[in-house]
Amino acid sequence: MRAAALLTAMLALACSTLTGCGTGEKERDAAAVTERFHAALERGDGRAACRELSAAATSAVERDEGRSCEEAILGLDLPRGAAAGPSRVFQLSASVELADGSATFLSEGPAGWKVTADGCTPTSPDQPYECVLEG
Amino acid sequence: MRRFLKHNGLSLAFLGLFLAALVFQAIAGLAEFNDEQDMHGDPHISLWRYLTSSAFGAAVMENWQSEYLQFTLFALLTVRLLQRGSPESKELGKEGRESDEDQMVGEHARETSPRWARVGGLRTRVYENSLLLVMAAIWIGTWLAQSLTGVTEYNAERLDHHMETLSWPEYLGSANFWERTLQNWQSEFLAVGSLAIFAVYLRQRGSPESKPVGAAHHETGVEG
Repeated sequence: MRAAALLTAMLALACSTLTGCGTGEKERDAAAVTERFHAALERGDGRAACRELSAAATSAVERDEGRSCEEAILGLDLPRGAAAGPSRVFQLSASVELADGSATFLSEGPAGWKVTADGCTPTSPDQPYECVLEG
Repeated sequence: MRRFLKHNGLSLAFLGLFLAALVFQAIAGLAEFNDEQDMHGDPHISLWRYLTSSAFGAAVMENWQSEYLQFTLFALLTVRLLQRGSPESKELGKEGRESDEDQMVGEHARETSPRWARVGGLRTRVYENSLLLVMAAIWIGTWLAQSLTGVTEYNAERLDHHMETLSWPEYLGSANFWERTLQNWQSEFLAVGSLAIFAVYLRQRGSPESKPVGAAHHETGVEG
């Protein structure tokens, strides 16, 4: 019994370092944050939308637009009310595809998943996406 | 206990060194990971989070796989290839699997020989190659683990830069995977090759990795 418990613990530890193991819950969490962000944009709630942004993304919005985040973010050309599609999580980074073909990028910290880039569209295969909002 | 320590000193010393190096690698690796977090404006992670991350897993596995490849190839190539004057080589003229008598298997086994060396048949064939089989199995297993942890780490970095991710098969053909693999392989092959040739001309008194100090340079397969 003790050997079985030890083996299970070792397999769980090995699994947590490998790709595809135990990321289902994280993918759902990242998708939920993405949907909350876009739902806030759709109902015109800039404050709620900015709460889902990373600190770097918030600073970037305020610096580029010269206004507070909650005012500036509603003026950006970002998808509104978009439903989250397939999500991918690797370590502390995630991407969520949206129904309109664009993508949202997130990173995980002590406060959970935060949006680091949004309104992102692919360019060429080995080049970064072009994003409307980028932290 | 004292007898146990005396009879197992070599493996215990290397076990201690391995564990110490692994601990310090984890500490240094965490510091490096958090430095990169700072560069991306991301928060620091804890030691436990780092130890269970693919970043740490990949860093460990890429080194383990190359070490076990080194031992696999060394065990395999020294069956047939010789190095004149090296204690790492068999004597000239003894290349190949050698006779059953020389290898003390089957009817030529002693009473103290391992059981599978005496019984013959498949078990003896397996035991005759057990060192190579185990080293190769560990090499392949750790190389697989390197690829799985490596693709996770690489994709995390690609997402950080707002790029598309790679599948595992795509990662196996990527520059990142092969650079990490080959940077380790080249150092292992250099180390073994260096030892094989240095030991022709250089000596370390008392070490079985060296010839006796007074042994001639051309003497092959003798230990100090």
